[in-house]
Amino acid sequence: MNSSPLCAGLDIGSLSTEVVVIGPQGIMGYSIVPTGSNIQRAIQSSMEKALKDAGVSQSHLSAVVATGYGRFNLSFPARQVTEITCHGRGASHLFPRTRTVIDLGGQDSKVIILDARRRVVDFVMNDKCAAGTGRFLEVMAGALETCLEEMGSLSLRARKRISISSMCTVFAESEVVSLIAQGASREDIIGGIHDSIASRIYRMAKRLRIEGEITFTGGVAKNLGMVEVLRRRFKASINLPDEPQIVGALGAALIARNSPQPVR
Amino acid sequence: MIERLIAWLIRRPHYYYLVRGPLRVYYARYANPAFMIWVSFLLRTYKEAFARTRPVIWSSAFVPTELVYGLGGVPVHPEILASLMAYFDISGWFLEKADTRISTDLCSFYRIALGMAMAGFLPQPDLLLSSSTFCDGSNKFFGYLSQLYNVPHFFLDVPYHDGRHGRRYLVDQLKDLTDSIAQLTGIPWRPERMERVVELSNRARGYLLQINDLRKSRPAPFPGSEALSYGVGMMFCSIGTEPSVNFYRALCRFIQQKVDQGAGYLPEEKHRLLWLHHIRPYYPNNIFDVLNGNGAAVVFEEASHVYWPQLDNRAIFESVAQKILSNFSNGPLERRVDNALKMAKTYEVDGAIHFSHWGCRQSCGGASVLADVLKAQGIPCMILDGDGGDPSNYSPGQTQTRLEAFVEMLE
Repeated sequence: MNSSPLCAGLDIGSLSTEVVVIGPQGIMGYSIVPTGSNIQRAIQSSMEKALKDAGVSQSHLSAVVATGYGRFNLSFPARQVTEITCHGRGASHLFPRTRTVIDLGGQDSKVIILDARRRVVDFVMNDKCAAGTGRFLEVMAGALETCLEEMGSLSLRARKRISISSMCTVFAESEVVSLIAQGASREDIIGGIHDSIASRIYRMAKRLRIEGEITFTGGVAKNLGMVEVLRRRFKASINLPDEPQIVGALGAALIARNSPQPVR
Repeated sequence: MIERLIAWLIRRPHYYYLVRGPLRVYYARYANPAFMIWVSFLLRTYKEAFARTRPVIWSSAFVPTELVYGLGGVPVHPEILASLMAYFDISGWFLEKADTRISTDLCSFYRIALGMAMAGFLPQPDLLLSSSTFCDGSNKFFGYLSQLYNVPHFFLDVPYHDGRHGRRYLVDQLKDLTDSIAQLTGIPWRPERMERVVELSNRARGYLLQINDLRKSRPAPFPGSEALSYGVGMMFCSIGTEPSVNFYRALCRFIQQKVDQGAGYLPEEKHRLLWLHHIRPYYPNNIFDVLNGNGAAVVFEEASHVYWPQLDNRAIFESVAQKILSNFSNGPLERRVDNALKMAKTYEVDGAIHFSHWGCRQSCGGASVLADVLKAQGIPCMILDGDGGDPSNYSPGQTQTRLEAFVEMLE
C-alpha cells in the first residue's frame, strides 16, 4: 500500500476519458470528457477537471494507473492495467457481491466474471463490431432523429415487440429506416433496438459461467431502458452504480492505491 | 512488372545459389543453427521443385511427407509457403489476387496459396495429394487446384475412428495410392528407398522426443513462437529426410545447452502457457512481444507433440496409416481435449491460449469445449480470435488488451 493515500485512475477510451481521484474517504473527485482526436489534450483536460473537483494537485498523487486503449499515451509516470481488470475491481468495490460485470462502452462490450475474492477469472469481449455498444445506439438515434439521452425512456414505452435482425450496425440502420417507412412507431423500434443489444450481450455472456450478482457499467448503463431489458433478459436484478461511466477509472485508482510500484 | 520479374527469378536455379550466401550471413545472428538448416532446406526444396528433376507433389499439411519422399517426389506444401509470405509481410499482395476468385471467409493460407499460384510463384505440380485429416479446407482447395493445373488430385479418406477396419481401409488406400502415383510418375515404388525414409523419420522423431522432454525444464529454454514457425514448418515438410535429422539434432543440442546453463528464453518467467492450435499469426504482430514483456512464456504447443509411434520397416503402409490415425486432431474432440490436458499437466502450465484462426472450422469449432474442460480443471484458457495469414484481420490494440487481461488474470 502507498503511504500517501491520494491516487488517481484514468480510463482513456476511444470516445471518452474518465479520471477518478480517491483518498482515504473514497472518491474525492472525478471527470468525464470526450476524448476527441487529441488524446493528450483529453488526458490533460480530464486530469485537471478531476483534480480540481477533488481540490488537490497532481503533485499530491502518490500513484496513478491508466486503463483503456489510450493507456500507453500518458506523458507522466503511471502503471498500465487493462480495463477488464479495472472494471472488475471498480464494480466489486461498489457492489462487493458482484460476480458478473457487464460493461457496455462506446465502442466495445465486455462481460467479466469475478470469483469470491473479487479477482477476474474469465472474460469475453466484443470490440470488433459496434453492434451491442453505445455507438450502435448513437447511430440508431441519428436514424430516428432522436436525442441519444431519450432513447432509454422511449424504449420503455414500446408496446409491440419488433425484431431488429441485422447484426451489422450499418445494415440495422437500413432496417430501422425501412421500419419507419412501414409506419412502425418510434417507441416500438427503439424497444427493438434495445432488445437486439440485450440479445447480443446475453449470448456473449452465456459463453461464460454467469453467477451471483450482476453489475452494469459503462456509459450505456446510464440508459435505463437498457438496464430494464437486461434485467428481463438475465432474469436477475442488475446493480447500477450512481455514475457507471467512471467504474473503470475507479478500479484503476483502487489498483493504484494497492500497488507497491506505481510506475510501469 | 515486379511481380513477373520475381516469378521469373524464383524459377531460375541459380537464384537459389545467389541468395543462399547472403541469407547465411543475414541469419548468422541467430545463435540457433537449426534455423539455418530450415532456411537451406526451404531453398533447396524450392529449387528442386522449380528445376523439376523429380516429380513435384503438392501435399497438404497432414499428409505424412514420408510417403512423398518414399515415392521419389519433392513435396511442396502450399500452406507452408503461404505462411512464409505472411512472415515477409507480402501476403496482402496474393490475397488481393485470390479474393477475386474465392470467399474471404476461407482460411487465409489457402487464399494466399491460391494467389501465389495465380501469380506463378509456385512450381507446377505433377500431382496433388491431400488427406481428410483435420484440415477439411485442404480438400476443396486441392480440388480447385486440380482444375487450375489440370493435374490429378489424390485424396486420402482418413476414417473418423482409429480401429481395425479403419486401419485396413487406410492401408488399402495407401497401397493403391503408391501404385497409382508410381505409374503416373514413372518412378517405381522401391521398398529400399522407403526404408531409408522410415529410418530417417524415426531418427528425427527420436530427437523431437528429446527436445520435447527438455522443454519441460524451468525456465522454458525455447520459445513457443519459434517452435510454431520454423519448428512446425520442418515437421510438416521434412520428416523422412536427412535435413530433418540434422535440424532436430541441432535444435536438441541447442536446447540442451540452454537447459545445462539454466537459461530461460525470458529474462524472468512469471507464467507458463500452452499454445493450442498448430499455427500462430505469421505476419508481423505484437502477440509474443506482449506475452514476453509480461513474463508469460509459451513453454509448449500442441503442434510439437509427437503423437505417432515409430514407423516400422516391416509394415510400412500399416505404420504410415497408424501415424495418420494417431493424430489427436482426427476423430472425436475428446482426443484433442485429453491430449491438451496431458500437455498442460506435463509442462506445468499456468494457462493456455487457443488461437482461433479465421476460417478454421475444425479447430475453432471445438475451442469453447476445449477451453471449458481446461477451466474446469483449474487451467485458465483464453480463446484468441485472429488470422494466421491475413494481417487485415489483425488488430494490435485489441489483441494486446486481451492478452494483457489474460496475464493479469494469472497474476
